[in-house]
Amino acid sequence: MSVYQINKLCHRMLRDLEFRAAMKNDTATAIATYDLTVPEKRALVEGDVARLFEMGVHPFLLSFMTRYEISGLTTEVYSERIRAAHDPRDRA
Amino acid sequence: MLTTEKGRARPMLSGGNPVGSVVAAFGIPHSPHLPEQIRKEPSHPASALYRHVGEAIAAARPDVLVIFDCDHFSTMFLDNLPLFTVGVGERTAGPNDMTVMPRYDMPMHAALAEHLRAHGIGADFDLGLLQDFEVDHSIAVPLHFVTPQMNIPIVPVFINCFVPPLPSARRCYSLGQAFHAAVQSFPQPLRVAALGSGNFTLEIGGPKVAAGRRQGVPDPAWLHEASGYMREGQVDRLLQAATTERMLKAGNVAGELLAWIATWGMIGGSKPDWIHLDPEAGEVYSIWSGERS
Repeated sequence: MSVYQINKLCHRMLRDLEFRAAMKNDTATAIATYDLTVPEKRALVEGDVARLFEMGVHPFLLSFMTRYEISGLTTEVYSERIRAAHDPRDRA
Repeated sequence: MLTTEKGRARPMLSGGNPVGSVVAAFGIPHSPHLPEQIRKEPSHPASALYRHVGEAIAAARPDVLVIFDCDHFSTMFLDNLPLFTVGVGERTAGPNDMTVMPRYDMPMHAALAEHLRAHGIGADFDLGLLQDFEVDHSIAVPLHFVTPQMNIPIVPVFINCFVPPLPSARRCYSLGQAFHAAVQSFPQPLRVAALGSGNFTLEIGGPKVAAGRRQGVPDPAWLHEASGYMREGQVDRLLQAATTERMLKAGNVAGELLAWIATWGMIGGSKPDWIHLDPEAGEVYSIWSGERS
């Protein structure tokens, strides 16, 4: 269920300005209390949005990471990384 | 049974009591950047398109707008996500998702909402109930442009267009048909219009975004195909073509077409009187006018 927790923390950034600022300031500290796996935490801290997408995070919620430029995710960086993700829609 | 009042056919119950009628339907986009963009640039083409639809809504003189909507995790979230939900109450407000635009209070039509929900459940649609809620840009943006005085009560009907598995296109069309029938059994001569909002092709935050951007319009060809079926009144063609897989290839929010399809069902799958395509934006604007049944 921890992908749900990632979706939830992405969603939280929309209205919880304090949490958004904490995410921007130091992602690792901001997510410390969340019950996430080590690879999930690493992907969040490194801004590895392709990996997060492949784990099942909803892309609309994931895009909040770049809307607020969390973990170094400028629009350009986000775009380049997410476009390289494995997209199950392209099968067949 | 029909009787004529002021030269116009008017539906009646068999006992001779006037009932509701679906007088028009409309489809428009709800892109959240448009209010601010048009405020800065009043000559933006979307402004005139929204105005055109707004004038058609005024001309149809609806007492209520039934809005088929795709919420963006703003009114409901992944912890509780029904496929179909009717908003019931006297008032709502929005946007509730930080969209840069004026905030509005919006009247709702509780009696019609309850009637649609009861009739829909009676017709085997499992309709959730939502009370005491606010709405996001997907309702606030269209109304900001087409009924900025917020003088027409709404009934929001939320469809999960966003988190697969999605309801089927045929199911959404049937829901619109069921609501059409429900309006015709509403025990007052209520004039009801349907409004669907959403894009035909749009990717937000997923792998099909445009280079250097966090969104993109990956599939204008699908916009042409799907809107073409609407233009020609080819209901079965659209319902067969608009599988979840096909819609999502047009972008991860392209399931918003389901809101249009429910709207189309409510106006009987007729050919639109006017339709405008903006394939580069993934957007369509449409008007179905006239009283039909």
